[in-house]
Amino acid sequence: MTLWFILALMTVAAVFAVLWPLGRAPGAPREGSETAIYKDQLGEIERDLAAGLIGAGEAEAARTEVSRRLLAAADASPVAAAAPQRGLRRAVAVAALIGLPFVSGALYLKLGTPGLPAFPLAERAQAPAATESLDRLVMQVEARLEKNPNDGRGWEVLAPVLMRLGRYPDAIKALRNSIATNGPTATRHADLGEAILMGANGVVTAEAKAEFEHALALDADEIKARYFLGLAAEQDGRTREAAGIWRAMLAKAPDDAPWRPLLQRALARVEGVAAPSEEQIAAAGASDAERGEKVRGMVERLATRLRQDGSDVDGWLRLVRAYMVMGDRDKALASVKDARAALTQDAGRLRQLNEGLKGLGIDG
Amino acid sequence: MMPEAGHYALVLALVLALVQAVVPIIGARRRDPALMNVAASTASAQFMFALISFGALTASHMVSDFSVANVFENSHSLKPMLYKITGVWGNHEGSMMLWVFILALFGALVAVFGGNLPATLRANVLAAQAWIAAAFYLFILTTSNPFLRIANPPVEGRDLNPVLQDIGLALHPPLLYLGYVGFSISFSFAVAALIEGRIDAAWARWVRPWTLVAWIFLTLGIAMGSYWAYYELGWGGWWFWDPVENASLMPWLSGTALLHSALVMEKRNALKIWTILLAILTFSLSLLGTFLVRSGVLTSVHAFATDPARGVFILAILIFFIGGGFALYAWRAGSLKQGGLFAPVSREGALVLNNLLLTTACATVFVGTLYPLALEALAADKISVGAPFFNLTFGPLFVPLLIAVPFGPLLAWKRGDLLGASQRLIAAGLLALAGVALVMAWSWGGPALAPFGVGLAIFVIVGAVSDLVERCGLIRKPALALKRARGLPASTWGTAFAHAGLGLTLLGIVCETTWSDERIATMRAGDQTMVGGYSVRLDGFAQRHGPNYREVTAQFAVARNGAAIGVMEPSKRNFVTRGSATTEAALMTRGFSQLYISLGDLSADGTIAVRLYHKPLVLLIWLGTVVMVFGGGLSLMDRRLRVGAPRPARSAKALQPAE
Amino acid sequence: MTRKQRRLVLIGSALAVLAVAVALVLNALRDSIVFFTTPTDVVEKSIQPGKRFRLGGLVQPGTLVKGGNLAVKFEITDGKSNVKVAYQGILPDLFREGQGVVSEGVLDAGGVFKADTVLAKHDENYMPKEVADALKKQGHWKDDYAAKPEAAGGAAAATSAQGGKP
Repeated sequence: MTLWFILALMTVAAVFAVLWPLGRAPGAPREGSETAIYKDQLGEIERDLAAGLIGAGEAEAARTEVSRRLLAAADASPVAAAAPQRGLRRAVAVAALIGLPFVSGALYLKLGTPGLPAFPLAERAQAPAATESLDRLVMQVEARLEKNPNDGRGWEVLAPVLMRLGRYPDAIKALRNSIATNGPTATRHADLGEAILMGANGVVTAEAKAEFEHALALDADEIKARYFLGLAAEQDGRTREAAGIWRAMLAKAPDDAPWRPLLQRALARVEGVAAPSEEQIAAAGASDAERGEKVRGMVERLATRLRQDGSDVDGWLRLVRAYMVMGDRDKALASVKDARAALTQDAGRLRQLNEGLKGLGIDG
Repeated sequence: MMPEAGHYALVLALVLALVQAVVPIIGARRRDPALMNVAASTASAQFMFALISFGALTASHMVSDFSVANVFENSHSLKPMLYKITGVWGNHEGSMMLWVFILALFGALVAVFGGNLPATLRANVLAAQAWIAAAFYLFILTTSNPFLRIANPPVEGRDLNPVLQDIGLALHPPLLYLGYVGFSISFSFAVAALIEGRIDAAWARWVRPWTLVAWIFLTLGIAMGSYWAYYELGWGGWWFWDPVENASLMPWLSGTALLHSALVMEKRNALKIWTILLAILTFSLSLLGTFLVRSGVLTSVHAFATDPARGVFILAILIFFIGGGFALYAWRAGSLKQGGLFAPVSREGALVLNNLLLTTACATVFVGTLYPLALEALAADKISVGAPFFNLTFGPLFVPLLIAVPFGPLLAWKRGDLLGASQRLIAAGLLALAGVALVMAWSWGGPALAPFGVGLAIFVIVGAVSDLVERCGLIRKPALALKRARGLPASTWGTAFAHAGLGLTLLGIVCETTWSDERIATMRAGDQTMVGGYSVRLDGFAQRHGPNYREVTAQFAVARNGAAIGVMEPSKRNFVTRGSATTEAALMTRGFSQLYISLGDLSADGTIAVRLYHKPLVLLIWLGTVVMVFGGGLSLMDRRLRVGAPRPARSAKALQPAE
Repeated sequence: MTRKQRRLVLIGSALAVLAVAVALVLNALRDSIVFFTTPTDVVEKSIQPGKRFRLGGLVQPGTLVKGGNLAVKFEITDGKSNVKVAYQGILPDLFREGQGVVSEGVLDAGGVFKADTVLAKHDENYMPKEVADALKKQGHWKDDYAAKPEAAGGAAAATSAQGGKP
C-alpha cells in the first residue's frame, strides 16, 4: 500500500514539474542577452586599465573591438518579442496530466515487480526459524570462516556437509584449508581425494590419486584411500591389480566392518567381468590394445544388458560415462537417446537420468 | 519497496527526459517563454528522480538486499561498507546508473545556473541534453536494468573479489565519468548553437568553464587509473596503451584542444566553427569510450560486460549522436558567421597549432585503437597494436607541440612577435641546453634521445615560469613584482601551472622510461642484490593473518652507501575462502623516485622470486598531472570576462602590457 | 597578408601535419604490430623463426617445469596442437595450468617459443578474448576442457566409476 502511495506521490511531482512553468504568470523572464555581456566587457576593460593590467593603447584597441561587436549584436538581436502560444501550452499541459502518468505507469508495470518486498540482510537475520535451512546454516558457517579463515575446526565441520550437499569445489577448498590449518592427516587427504573424485564425476583423476597416495604414505591402512586406489586401478583397466587391493583389504577387515559388502560387490564386479586370477599370468603381459579390447567387451556387455532391461538408470549413466571416457561422444549421445526411449514411461527415473546426465556435462 | 521506488523513479526520469527533449525546442521555435521554461523545471525534476533512483540502488547495496539481482551478483554481506557503496558502480548496470546520474546532475546545473543565458539557448541546450539522457535511460531500462528482482532471494551474494576492493579503483570510474559526461554540456551547447544558427558571446562564456570542469575530472580520473595500475598490478608499469586507457585518452586530447580553441573563441570571437566541431568530436569520443568499455567489444582489464544486445544498443546510441551531431554540423555550420581575423604568428595562431597537433595525435591514437577491431571484423586477422606503434606516432607529434607550448602565452593576440617571444624564452632555452649537456655528459653512451627529452621538459617548465616572471616584471622592476603578481588574473597563473605540470609529467616519463633499473632475482634469506644504487637484503619471511586472508611477507633491508635507510615489506596474499592470490608491492619513496619490490612464487627450497625496480622521478608523472589540474582549477576560479586585446604594434615595447 | 593568404597558410600547415601523421601511422603499422596466433596456426602455417607474434591458448596441465634462475617451460595448447614455450621471469599471479594465457615472443630454430612477456590479466574469470575465440573455434571451451586431459591421460577407459564411500 505504502509503495503505491509513494509511486503516486512521485508521479504527482513529475507532472507538477511540467505544469508549473506553464501556469506561471508571464513575468519578465530572467534572461541574459548578448548586449549585456558586451557591456560587462567594456566595464571590465576600464577596471583593468585602472588596475594597470593593460596599457592605454591596448585598452583602446579592445574598447573599439568590443564596441563594434556590441553594435552588431544590438542590430542582430531578435526583436521578435515573446509570443505566447496558449493552444500549445494547453496541449502540453493536457499531455503531461494524462500522458505522463499513463506512459510511466505502463512502462513500470511492464518492467517492475511491485509485489515483491525488499529483503535486506537485517530483516533476513530476524526471519523466523522455519526458513532456516541447511543451506542457510552452511552459509552462516561460511560467513564466519570468511572472516576468520584460520578456524581449523570450522573447516573440518563444514567439509563433510558440503560434500553431502554436492558442492564439491567448495568442499575441496574447505578440505585444503583444513589441511593447511589443522595439519595433514591420512583421513583428511583421503577425504580431499574423494571430493576431487566426486567433482570429476567419479573419475579418479591424477590429482585425486595423488591425494590418496599421500594419505597412504601417512597411514598405510587408510581404508578409503586404499579402496579408491583400487578403483583407480580398475578405471585404468588394471582389474587384476584392483582385485588384488580389494581382496587384501577384505582379508584384513574385521567381520563387522560396514564397508565389507561394498568391497565384496566391487570385487564381484571386476572378477565377474574380467575373470581375473593369479593363474592368468598371460594377462599380466596383456598389451594396451588387449586391455582396451577387454574394456570394450565389458561396455558391450553392459549395453546388451540394458537393451534387455532398460529400467536401470545407474546402468545407463555408467554406460554413457564409459563412452564419454572412451572419447566416443557419438555413441554416448546415442545411448542417451536409447535411455530416454527406455524410460519414457517412468517420469521419476527419467528425471533422475536427466540430472545424472547434467552431472556428466550432457544437457537434455 | 525501496528498490521498486527506485525503479519507478528511473522510469519517471525517462518520461521527463522525453518531455524535456521535445517541448523546449518547440517553445524556442515559437518563442513561447513558458514552454521554454519547461526545460529548466523538468531538468531539475529529472535530476531529482535520477538521484532517488541511484540512491535506492546504493541503499540496496548498503543493506545487502539480495532480492535485487544486481546486488546479489555484485555484492556480499561481508564486504566492508565502503566497498559495498563503491561496488554500486563496480559493475555494468551500476556504472551506467552513475553515468546517467552525472548526466542529469550536469543538466540540472545548467538549469539552475543558466539564468544569464538567452532563453532560447538555454531551452535548446537542455533539450539536447535530454536527448542524450533519454537514450541512456532507455538503454538502462531495456538492456541493463539494475532493479531486476529475484523472487526467492538467495542468502548470500556472489562477489567478494579482493582485487576490486581498492580505493583507487573505486574512485577511478566516478572521476572518469564526471569528465566524460561533462563534455556532454559542450556537445549540447554546440547542438543548440547549430539549431539556432548562431553563436553569441554568452555561448563562448559558458562553454569554456564547463569544458574546463570536465577536463579537470578527466585528467584526475586518468591519472588515478594509471597510478592504480602502477601499484596494484605488480609489474611497475603505469601506462599500457591498452584500448581502455586509450578510450579515456582520446577525449582528453580533443578536450584539451577544445579548451584552447574555446579560449580563442571567448576572447577573439574566432574559430567558431572549429570549436563547434571539436565540441561534437570530444563528446563523440567520450561516447566511443563508453561504447568500447561497456559493450565488451574489447575484452580487456575492464571487462565486465559481454552481452551483444547491450553492445548493439550502445552502438546505436553512438551512431545516432555522433552521426546526428556531424550531420547537423554539415547542414548548419555554413550558417554560422565567421569572425576574428588573425595573423599566423599570434596567440590565435599558436592555439591553432596546438589544436592541429592535439587532434592529429588523437587521430593516431584512434587509428591504433580501432584498427585491430576493424581488421578483426573485416579480415578476421587478430593483431595487437602496442606501445611501439604509439611511441612511433604519438611521440613525434607531441614533440613539436611541447616545443610550441612556452611560446603560446608569450605571443600577443591577433599579431604576435615571434622574435620577441623567443628573446624572452632565452633563459628557458639556455637552461634546457645546459640540461641536455649535463645529462649527456652524465649518461654518456646511454640512450641518445633521453637528454633531449629532459631538455624539452626543462624548456616547458622554465618557459612557463618565465612567462610569469615576465608578467610580474620580476627582473625589470623587482619592487613592484609582488603587487603585479597579485594583480595578475588567476587564469594567467592557471596557464603557467598547467603548462609547468605538463613539463613535470614529461620529465617523469622520460626519466622513468630511460633510467628505470629492473632486477629479477631468486633470493633466499640473507641474499643481497643491488638496484639503482641501493643495496637490498632479504632478511626473512613472516606469516601474517589479515581479516580474510593469509599473507607471506618478505622483509627487505634497504641501504645506500652502507647506511641503512629503511625496510620494505612486499607480500603475497592468499584469500582463503576464494582461493585467490594477490601481490602487494612495497614502495619506498626517495624524493620523487621510488623503489618498488614485488614478490613472485615462493619455492619449496626457501628461495623466492623477486622483482625489484628503481624508478627515478616516477612520482613526477602524477605530480605533474596534479599540478595541471591545479592550474585548471585556478583558471576556473577566474570569473573575469575575457576580452583579448590585440597589442598595438607601435607601443609594444614602451608599454609592456601584461595581457 | 590578405585573408586568403592567411587561410592558405592555415590549410597548408594543417595538411602538412596530417601528411606527417599519415606517414608516421603507415610506417608504424608496417613495423610495430604483432599478430595473434594459436598453437594450431603455428603448427600448420610454419611461422618463420625470429618473427615476433603473440601466442595464446591454455596452459596444458602437467607441462609446467620450473628450472633454475626463474626459467620456466610450459606448453600452450588449443586442444588440437601444442607449442612449447620457454620464458624467464616471474609469472603473473593468475598464471595457472589449465587457464588462459597470452605470451609474446619469437620462435627459435627448434620450434620452441621464446616468450619475453606472459600475460594473465587481473580478473579471475578473465579469459583473453582472442583465446576464447580460438578455443571456441576449436570446439574446446574451458568447462569441457578441464575433463579432456584426464580422458586422454587415462589411456584405456573405465567401465564404472562408483564414488561410494567404503
